[in-house]
Amino acid sequence: MSEPAPSTPAGAELVSDRSQSPMWIFVLTLTLLYLGAVYFDRHSGWFDKDVYSPYANAAMLESYQPKSGAAMAAAQGRRVYEQVCGLCHGADGLGKPGQAPALAGSEWVIAAGHNRLAHIPLLGINGQISVAGKGWNLGMAAMGASLSDSDLAAVLTYIRTSWGNQAGEVTADDIKNIRAGLGGHLQPMSSDQLLAMPE
Amino acid sequence: MTVNDKLDNKFGGASVPASQLDSSFAPPVDASCRVPLLVLFGGAALWLVVSSLLALAASLTFHMPDKFGDCSWGTYGHLQPAADDALLYGFCIPAGLGVALWIFARLGRTPLRGALVPVVAAHLWHLGVLVGLVGIFVGDSTGFAWLEFPRGGSALLFFAYLLIGLWALMNFSGRPAGAMFPSHWFLVAALFLFPWIYSTANILIVGWPVRGVVQAVIAWWFGNNLIFLWTSLVGLGAAFYFLPKFSGRPLQTYFYALFAFWTLFFFGSLRGVPSGAPVPAWLPTLGNLNSMLLIVPVIVIAIIGWKTVVGAAGPEGKDSSYSMIRFGFVAFVLSALLQVAMSCPQFARLTQFTWFGVAQTQLQLYGFFAITMFGAIHYILPRAVGIEFAFPKLIRVQQGCAMLGLIILVASLAAGGVAQGLKLNDPNVAFADSSKAMLMFLRASTTGLLLLLLASLLFALNIFAMIMAWHWSLVRAVFAAVVAPLPKTEVKA
Repeated sequence: MSEPAPSTPAGAELVSDRSQSPMWIFVLTLTLLYLGAVYFDRHSGWFDKDVYSPYANAAMLESYQPKSGAAMAAAQGRRVYEQVCGLCHGADGLGKPGQAPALAGSEWVIAAGHNRLAHIPLLGINGQISVAGKGWNLGMAAMGASLSDSDLAAVLTYIRTSWGNQAGEVTADDIKNIRAGLGGHLQPMSSDQLLAMPE
Repeated sequence: MTVNDKLDNKFGGASVPASQLDSSFAPPVDASCRVPLLVLFGGAALWLVVSSLLALAASLTFHMPDKFGDCSWGTYGHLQPAADDALLYGFCIPAGLGVALWIFARLGRTPLRGALVPVVAAHLWHLGVLVGLVGIFVGDSTGFAWLEFPRGGSALLFFAYLLIGLWALMNFSGRPAGAMFPSHWFLVAALFLFPWIYSTANILIVGWPVRGVVQAVIAWWFGNNLIFLWTSLVGLGAAFYFLPKFSGRPLQTYFYALFAFWTLFFFGSLRGVPSGAPVPAWLPTLGNLNSMLLIVPVIVIAIIGWKTVVGAAGPEGKDSSYSMIRFGFVAFVLSALLQVAMSCPQFARLTQFTWFGVAQTQLQLYGFFAITMFGAIHYILPRAVGIEFAFPKLIRVQQGCAMLGLIILVASLAAGGVAQGLKLNDPNVAFADSSKAMLMFLRASTTGLLLLLLASLLFALNIFAMIMAWHWSLVRAVFAAVVAPLPKTEVKA
C-alpha cells in the first residue's frame, strides 16, 4: 500500500489516498460487460414486446406456434373463443349462473350435426331454452354474425372438441352454406324454431 | 476544554495530515447544524420506535392470526406496510438527510446558514410521514409497495426533501475551493436521486396512472432505486467519511471510490424488475444483467473498506460508532452479494415468492443503513449539541440488541425462505404445507424483532434525553440572563 500522497487540497477535512489506478479492475469490468452482453443477447428477445420468459427470442416463440392443420385451427378457435365467447361462457366452458349456460356437455353443442348450433351465433337467440336439463330464459345477440367463415368454423370446432366435448369439426364451407341458407332471416331464433330445423 | 475538544481528541484527528490538524472550524460548524439535526434525528427516533412496534405486531399476526383481526387497521395488510414505510420514510431518510447536512458542513468547513429552513422542512417531513401512516391505517394506501402513502403525505415529503436538499446543496456549493471528498459524490447523487424517482413514481402511478403492466415496472424501478441505490449512496457516503476518520488511515483509495461510485450508480439504477416477472423478457433480463454487474462495485467497495480499516490503529478503546459503521459496511457487502445471487435465474427460481427477498431488504435497510446511521448519529449529536449522551453505557446495549436482533431476523427469514422455496418447487408438496414450513422461522424472526424494538427504544431514550437536556439548557440560559446582576454601568445610570 502506498503512503498518502500530499496532493490533497488544503482545507479538506479528510484525505483520500491518491495512488494510481490498478489495471485489473478495468480488465474485470470489461470481461464482465462482455459476458453480460452475451447473456443479454441470448435471453432478452431484443426488446420484442411479445417475447416473455422463458422464451428467448421471437424465432424461438415462432417455433412453438402451430403451423397448419388441426393444431392451427384449435389455436385459432381458442383465440376467437377467448375474445368473443369466453367472457360470458367462461374460459372453462362452464358458463356463468344467471348469465350464460355451460357449453361443456351441452346437448346443443355436442349434437351429431352442427346446423342448429351454427344458427345461434349467426342470428342470436331469445326466450326459453333448456340446456342439459336446466331451463334458461335469456337473450344472446348475434355474436358470430361479424366473424369470418373461417373464424366461426374454428370457434365452433373449438367448443365442440374442448372441455370433454367430443363432437365433429365444422368447416368454413359448412358455415358458408349455412350463411347462404339464411336468406333474409335476421331475427334471433327461439328454442322451438331451432328444434324445428334439421340437426 | 469543551465537549467537542474532548471528543475530537479521543480520535486524535489521526486521519488528517499534521498540516491540517487545525480543527478550530469544527465547533461553530457543528453548532450551526444543531437545531435541524435535533429535529431530524428526534423525529427519526420516534418513527423508529413506531416502526419496530408495528413490525412486531405484524409478525405476531402469523402466530396469533385472530389477535388484532377484529379491527381492519390491525390486519397484516395495514401493519406491515406501515412498519416498512415508518422505517424507510420515518427513520432512514431523515436520518440520512441529517447526516448528509452535517457531513457537508464539516467537510466544507462551512457553517450551515439559514438553519430555520431545514428546521421547518424537517417538521414538514415528519408531518408528511404522520399523514401517510394515518392514511395507510384508514385504508387510503395506494397499494404499491414503498409508495403506500396517499397523495397528501407524499406531497409533503417531496417538498420537505426539496427544501432540505436545497439547503444541503447551498452549503456544499459554499465550501472553499478544492474541498472535495469521495463522500461528497455519493451524498450529492443521493440528494438529486430522491426527488427524481419519487416524483416520477408518484406522478406515473398515483397521480395520473399509466396503463397496465407499466405501473408494476415503474413500481419495481422506484423500489430498487430507493431501497437499494439511495440507501447505498447515503450509507456509503457516510461510511467513507467515518471509516477513515476512525481508523486513522486515508480513504483507500480516491480512485477506487471514484470507480465504485460510477459503477454503483450506473448498474444500481437500471435494476429492479425481478427475475421471474411476467413482463416482456428484456425487462427482467436487463435487471438481472445489471444486478450481476453489481459484483464490480461490491468488490471495489469491499476492498476500500478492507484497506482503510483492517490493521489500522483505530480510536483508543472500543468505540461504539466505529463498531456500528463497520458492521453496517459488512452488511452492505452481504446485502449486495445477495442481490447478485438473486439475479441468477437458477437461484431466483428457488427464492422467488418466498421470504428470502424480505430478508435481503431488511439486511439492506436495517443491517446496513439504519445501523450505519446509529453509529453516525451517536458520533454527531453530542458534538452538534455540545452535551454528552445521558446514558452512554446504554449505547453499547443498544448496539448489541440491534446487531443481534438483525442477525436473528435476517438469518431466520433467509433460511426459511430457502426451505419454503424448496417445498414450493416440489410438486409433491401442497402449497399450504410449503407456507406452513415458514412458521418456525417466523417465530424466530419475531424474537429478532423483539430485540430490534429494544434497540429502537434505547436509541430513542438517548436521543429524547438529549433533546430534553438541550431544552433545559436553553431554559437555564434564559433564567441566568434574567437573574444576572446588572452591570455596574447600568446601575449608575
